[in-house]
Amino acid sequence: MALRFEELIQRHHDEIFAYLWRLMGKDGRRQGAADVEDIVQDVFLRAYESFSGLRPNSNHRAWLYKIATNCAYSQLRRIKNRRHKLSSLERSATEQQTATEVSSLHKQMEQTVRNLVNELPAKQKACVTLRYLQDLDYPEIAQILSCSQESARANVYQAIQRLRIALEKET
Amino acid sequence: MTARKVINDRTVVKQLRSGLSGPNAAALAHSRARVRKWFADEAPLIQWGEMTSPLGSVFAAVNRRGLCALDFGRQESEFLARFDPLTRLEKNPTAMRRVLAQLREYFAGDRSTFNLPVDISQLTPFQRSVLDVACRIAPGQVWTYHRVAQELGRPRSSRPVGQALARNPVPIVIPCHRVIASDGGLGGYSGGSGLKAKRWLLRLEGAL
Repeated sequence: MALRFEELIQRHHDEIFAYLWRLMGKDGRRQGAADVEDIVQDVFLRAYESFSGLRPNSNHRAWLYKIATNCAYSQLRRIKNRRHKLSSLERSATEQQTATEVSSLHKQMEQTVRNLVNELPAKQKACVTLRYLQDLDYPEIAQILSCSQESARANVYQAIQRLRIALEKET
Repeated sequence: MTARKVINDRTVVKQLRSGLSGPNAAALAHSRARVRKWFADEAPLIQWGEMTSPLGSVFAAVNRRGLCALDFGRQESEFLARFDPLTRLEKNPTAMRRVLAQLREYFAGDRSTFNLPVDISQLTPFQRSVLDVACRIAPGQVWTYHRVAQELGRPRSSRPVGQALARNPVPIVIPCHRVIASDGGLGGYSGGSGLKAKRWLLRLEGAL
């Protein structure tokens, strides 16, 4: 029996939400969840619109991750553009304020890691999130990001090296 | 000169997992409920039910227009597999009460025609016209495929008539079993166990 869309929501909503949560650089708090919810809603809306064109033997999970990655990239681009429009003065004030709030609420190291991951190039960030936080294997990651397995491995490797060097500097 | 701490890749992954922990349960539940609500509002609803009969389990389903599917002598999964995966399926005996009650009366020999709204909008105009003609055949009577074709003004279309009857989504309620071959044979039947079921239905109606 072909997979029904309702089952797709039931099976994959939680992991797609967690993936987007991490990709959007959210911390463990409820705050900021609305942004991720909006993206998740958009992912399932897009999936619903193109579900009929999907072959029955397709990897539905990888297909959903792919849509989620594209939605997240679009949102991250919008956020980046918005930030560029801020004057450097405003930006520095905002960042300082955010850093103060966060440090008072969370462990400094966890915030540091999040900041470092957020600074990674988009593809490296997606690759390392899929591999080590969503526990996907390389064939699936390659399918999701429309690249070769070698490229996925290389991106994960480069991301880990960048994070390692950055963490060594921090500690 | 300060000594820099050397970190291995495994430690990086460990810190990564700790720093990018997943969302909390409340955030997940809130989003899950929102997506489910959106799906409930967006997806066409199909309610279905089942009953037992002398021909085995009978499954029937209604959409907002009326009875849209009926089958018997098959597994539940086979019946449900026919619906568009984008629809929302709901097993709802209450919504099916009227349909199942009339079917029970039919199988008990207390009813020969049905008073139910039926949705065959997914069929082609020709298929619909063939089923319309089938609905005019009185209980206890049989027509040939050729006669149905003649009624449609297409006397050479006996074979397409047979193919259209085979597409009947609501057998029994639209009595396609009342159409037989010109040589007196039963012809074909796609419902339940095929010709065995067709023969049983015609006997119930006194046509055989």
